Amino acid sequence: MAETLLQVQDVSKGFPGVQALDKVQFELRRGEVHALVGENGAGKSTLMKILSGVYRPDAGTIIYKGKAVHFQNSREAAAAGIGIIYQELNLVPHLTVAQNIYIGREPRTWLGYIDDRKMNVDAAALLAKLNLNIDPTIRLNQLSVSKQQMVEIAKALSKDSEILIMDEPTSALTESEIDELFKVIHGLRDRGVGIIYISHRLDELKHIVDRITIFRDGHYIATSDYNAITMEEIINKMVGRKLENLFPPRQNVPTGKKLLEVKHITRTGILKDISFDLFEGEILGIAGLMGAGRSELARAIFGADPITSGEILRDGRKLDIRSPADAIRHGIAYLSENRKEEGLAIKMALNMNVTMANVPQVSRRFAIISRNQELQATRTYVDELDIRTPSLEQLVNNLSGGNQQKVVVAKWLFRDSRILIFDEPTRGIDVGAKYAIYELIGKLAREGVGVIMISSELPEILGMTDRVLVLHEGRLTATLQTRATSQEEILNHAAGLSLEAAADQN
Amino acid sequence: MSNELQMVAPPAFKGGLPAGLGTKKLSMDKLMIFVAFVALFIIFSLTARNFFTARNVLTLALQTSTITIMGIGVTFTIITGGIDLSIGSIVALSGTLAVMAANAGAPIWLSMVLGLLSGVLCGLLNGVIITGLKLPPFIATLGMMMVARGVVLTITNAMSKPAPEAFGHLGNDTLFRFSRQFPGIAYPVFIMIITAIVFGFFLRKTRMGRYTYAIGSNEEASRLSGIKVTRVKLVAYMICGFCAALTGIILASRMVTSQPNGGISYELNAIAASVIGGTSLMGGIGTVGGAVIGSFIIGVLGVGLTMQGASYFVQQIVIGLVVIASVAVDQIRYKKKLVQ
Repeated sequence: MAETLLQVQDVSKGFPGVQALDKVQFELRRGEVHALVGENGAGKSTLMKILSGVYRPDAGTIIYKGKAVHFQNSREAAAAGIGIIYQELNLVPHLTVAQNIYIGREPRTWLGYIDDRKMNVDAAALLAKLNLNIDPTIRLNQLSVSKQQMVEIAKALSKDSEILIMDEPTSALTESEIDELFKVIHGLRDRGVGIIYISHRLDELKHIVDRITIFRDGHYIATSDYNAITMEEIINKMVGRKLENLFPPRQNVPTGKKLLEVKHITRTGILKDISFDLFEGEILGIAGLMGAGRSELARAIFGADPITSGEILRDGRKLDIRSPADAIRHGIAYLSENRKEEGLAIKMALNMNVTMANVPQVSRRFAIISRNQELQATRTYVDELDIRTPSLEQLVNNLSGGNQQKVVVAKWLFRDSRILIFDEPTRGIDVGAKYAIYELIGKLAREGVGVIMISSELPEILGMTDRVLVLHEGRLTATLQTRATSQEEILNHAAGLSLEAAADQN
Repeated sequence: MSNELQMVAPPAFKGGLPAGLGTKKLSMDKLMIFVAFVALFIIFSLTARNFFTARNVLTLALQTSTITIMGIGVTFTIITGGIDLSIGSIVALSGTLAVMAANAGAPIWLSMVLGLLSGVLCGLLNGVIITGLKLPPFIATLGMMMVARGVVLTITNAMSKPAPEAFGHLGNDTLFRFSRQFPGIAYPVFIMIITAIVFGFFLRKTRMGRYTYAIGSNEEASRLSGIKVTRVKLVAYMICGFCAALTGIILASRMVTSQPNGGISYELNAIAASVIGGTSLMGGIGTVGGAVIGSFIIGVLGVGLTMQGASYFVQQIVIGLVVIASVAVDQIRYKKKLVQ
């Protein structure tokens, strides 16, 4: 058996309000690709940040090459030979490949200036060792995303990394680029590098993974040779948890009346021929992995992104939606997953955010805003949605995440929206506030609003929705009755396994 | 004596005091700037003889009126998250065009209206370039600065021309002239006051004003809330162009000549005034009242230092330091507020 390179023993890490890691175990051998899987919030990223020196563990030991280590910062970890490649590339687009690889530690001549020749020669040698056909003198932004990712790998290895952590490395890559990446990963493994591979795409693991470790809710669940475990077992262990009283009792009853009909929506390269209906009083979930096109679908319906073809009908009438303003006029609202970037004007006051989508409603003649009417409207929603704020004119930046989410909801309720699209409504919100948001969504549906709820948290989908759409790579792979489905079935469709099965049968 | 002071400080900032953005804390910031202004005023009154006289205060108001008007205009563009560097060139172009129209026989009022329209048109072009071509406002208005300047120099051959005598009334006549000690309030001061009231009201009270803040605070969220971002930006740049043109006409009228070489780098003073008054170059924050106070801080420093014998060069140093200090204070205060 190969030498053990890294041993994580009983490592714990807490943040205010969350125990992100609770005595977890992990082991990495020289020359293996070890997948770490788990749902959002399972603690994968926290452990990686501990290994790469960004966080320090509260308890537990990390043994690296036979010695206990305590990295104080990411530089120490890198110097010791632990490289990490984040989901987002950390490269400078306007520098050359070689300049990116050696950034911050450029070789110098004896006069002290940068030795470009040595840098380019070294970079060329390094890239050749990885079997990469990349010119080190080319500017980075002239490379494809996958080649840029290779450069990132080369950069990590140039520091003589013995462990390489890859966090969702394929999320931005196309099929052929993924193949290219896997070849490089195989090459690294053969040279004795230990690779920790984190991915939501369970279907791709079979191509590269030797062993797999599963985390759930900050706990270590199991480690297994990849060949000795089935996909069903992996998924079972990942979701495992019982649905306790995390969700309020169902209040809404979908009527048979079609509120929204989406027909053959296509956006080249992103959404492929998606059709579905939304009924009055229904909560319709949209599930899928990262990059499956869930938010893109919502933004297309809302007119925030252009569509190539397809049509949208409300109450049987075809809508002409070319901008968010059009969609809003037809009673459609979109609550973005990025509240602060896309939902709120955080430097502005609560009342101004509540009325933002419907200022004319609180205006008098000559487009003059009535402060009284505005405060009155705000007061109504602050009471109705139980927004906790010291004043109606508080800066929204100073409200908590749950309250900020309620402000966004208030904004759309004040606009009399009949179709609300919630994109990750509970992201970054603590458990108590989540329940309030769920109650609110249920209440809206009961009042006849059509709710579309996009979520990465399957329990949330199962606990809240009437039906679920599952997307995989921009395609609708399943429309399921929530009551008759399971996390396993949803994950199967989300991972594209149902497509593969269909293809196998043909 | 305090009467004059109240006339100098236009009522608009009173309107600006209770929370441009609707929070009590922000209005505290404004209060601080106002206190700084009063402190400066008192210091100069005590140290410079003749500073606190009716005559001097009126001169101060007249001199500061143009920078105040430009500062109000540029505040709109800065709140949207943009900037306007073409103000100085628009000042020269609009004033010159108005003088040329008057010399060509157009009635005075019509020639001035034409001058104003030329400024609004320049602002509209700025806005179209920014929203249509999606250029950074800095680049778009830098280009406009050069183009407008080039146009005015070309059509005039860079030569100043006298205007008809009647053209000078707007810039030089006064109201309420009682005596030598109280030489009356010049029309430009009234124009400044009206500009501040009208645009202060517009920014604080109307929908378009609200949207100006909203897109500066978060353009994407505004778009997703159905706000017509392009239209709001066009209006902001047109207001800025209008204010610049108004300044150009006042200056041409005061000189009773066209000034194709005038107005150079005025945009920088306008931006400085706006920023001293608490406008954030990041967008989303700023008020007309702040711009007015900022302008008067610059004005008081200029006049006060001159009376104490400081050279124009020294004044530049002091004003530069005030700009840096006021923004630094804002930053620190703003950070504190967000952390809480």
